[in-house]
Amino acid sequence: METFWEAFKRHGVSRRDFLKFATAITGLMGLAPSMVPTVVRAMETKPRVPVIWIHGLECTCCSESFIRSATPLASDVVLSMISLEYDDTLSAAAGDAVEEHRKKVMKEYWGNYILAVEGNPPLGEEGMFCIVNGKPFVEHLKESAEGAKAVIAWGSCASWGCVQAARPNPTTAVPVHKVIKDKPIIKVPGCPPIAEVMTGVIMYMVLFDRIPPLDSQGRPKMFYGNRIHDTCYRRAFFNAGQFVERFDDEGAKKGWCLYKVGCRGPTTYNQCGSMRWYNGLSYPIQSGHGCIGCAEDNFWDNGPFYERLTNIPVPKQETNADKVGAVAAAAAVGGAIVHGIATKLRNSGNKED
Amino acid sequence: MNNIKRLYVFSPSLRIWHWINFLSIMVLFATGIYIGNPFFIGSQGIEPALAHGETLTMGLVREVHFIAGYILLASFIFRILIALTSKRDRLFIPKFWTAEYWFSIFETVQEYLLLKSSKEVVPHVRNHLARTAYFFIYLAIFFMIVTGFAMYGLSDPEGFWASIFGWVVWALGGEFPTHMWHHWIAWIIILFAIVHVYMVVREDIVKRDGEISSMFSGYKFFKKEPFDAEDLK
Repeated sequence: METFWEAFKRHGVSRRDFLKFATAITGLMGLAPSMVPTVVRAMETKPRVPVIWIHGLECTCCSESFIRSATPLASDVVLSMISLEYDDTLSAAAGDAVEEHRKKVMKEYWGNYILAVEGNPPLGEEGMFCIVNGKPFVEHLKESAEGAKAVIAWGSCASWGCVQAARPNPTTAVPVHKVIKDKPIIKVPGCPPIAEVMTGVIMYMVLFDRIPPLDSQGRPKMFYGNRIHDTCYRRAFFNAGQFVERFDDEGAKKGWCLYKVGCRGPTTYNQCGSMRWYNGLSYPIQSGHGCIGCAEDNFWDNGPFYERLTNIPVPKQETNADKVGAVAAAAAVGGAIVHGIATKLRNSGNKED
Repeated sequence: MNNIKRLYVFSPSLRIWHWINFLSIMVLFATGIYIGNPFFIGSQGIEPALAHGETLTMGLVREVHFIAGYILLASFIFRILIALTSKRDRLFIPKFWTAEYWFSIFETVQEYLLLKSSKEVVPHVRNHLARTAYFFIYLAIFFMIVTGFAMYGLSDPEGFWASIFGWVVWALGGEFPTHMWHHWIAWIIILFAIVHVYMVVREDIVKRDGEISSMFSGYKFFKKEPFDAEDLK
């Protein structure tokens, strides 16, 4: 197989530009500048890794995010860094032809290709809620994973289940790790994940020929090691106790902390606060809307998005843990008083012995 | 009145622990309620980036919460140590394997429902319903310590606190549900405290056994030998 450097040369990239590129992606992957020579050597010697990218029950927002990656450009990743052998959404070919190609690639690179899964398999009705090439996606997934070196679970769908797995989960959609159990799985959650996080994960895997260091939940540590809250530029307002109470108040105009209008930054692990979106332009909190926690498990069920605490289902009432607690405490005090009076009456006839 | 027995119920360590526990829980609850639903206290005359810890701010309230949390953890460990060393301090373990336990529970429920006069029930140093309630409150405090330090520690998922308590966040289905559980159990502890104070005052007034002062002096008074007096020896 062709190495990156060979592929770059073939495209007419100069040695100087090649080194600049290696330096840029070293920084992007969260590695120290001292790692640049290692990255350069890897790019000179490692072959380009074949990638099979399949799509299950999903909205394709991961692909939409991916193709907007600016550093490196998604086109560079697809055309130079990896050899994207199969992607039924991006490829020009379709139908049986592209399926034949997938099988051929699997056989040729058995045990060496990376399987990228976008979306998840619905298990209900024997998987009939999501069909690829006339077969349930769950079979497509199992078949494609068999010879894979590792599986990348793109987005919250593949990592956690996301919207389609929210209550009541009518199609019994499950994350990839519930179906594929014998392969290393790298979860890259987010709805969608940040483009540069996606390309960063792929580059790490192809350059170092191993999966990135993962946390206890299977997410790459370098991208999911911090809460958004802990990297948020509005954090100072949180510590100072300056909060937006309503989206049309003075605090909102001044850009204060969105904690009280339901921001999930304090409970969400992602890079939005530091890498941001659209080539570092902005992220939800910067544009004045709280984080909805899309990179977290079950984020869709942990609503409402604009409340700090979840609602407790009381008919025709908006209520949360603190309101219920206060009412219960008042009832307990009242109950104690009533019980005390009743005790007094009950024992009033008894003589002290 | 000569036949009144004076029994030494609470060791000094237990009494000290009880009041430290009380104080830290009160501080934790008050600061916790503010943290869950904070409000702008007013301009502190200092820019936000520097306000942390300087004046009365969210940062300071959280710091107090964390300090009280450390005290609660330390006092909980202390409580376990004294239970290991002294039989007297193991009273909170419910003896649900004995028939007497279920009989006492039934009788105490009758007493509290005012179906039975407090004078008729078999006297106990610590009735089994109370022992059971304390047992669950210890569990609740333990739960608050675990979830609290998990959330506290996960600002550094590779750090010390996360390595000890971080697992609970994933067991509860993520950090947001952990916040919710932390709220609910906090309220359960406060509900317990209200009922606890009432029950203690009631016990003292109805039975005149020095229930309230026992947590200061260590002694309770009994007209008859309590059923579970053996547990103190």
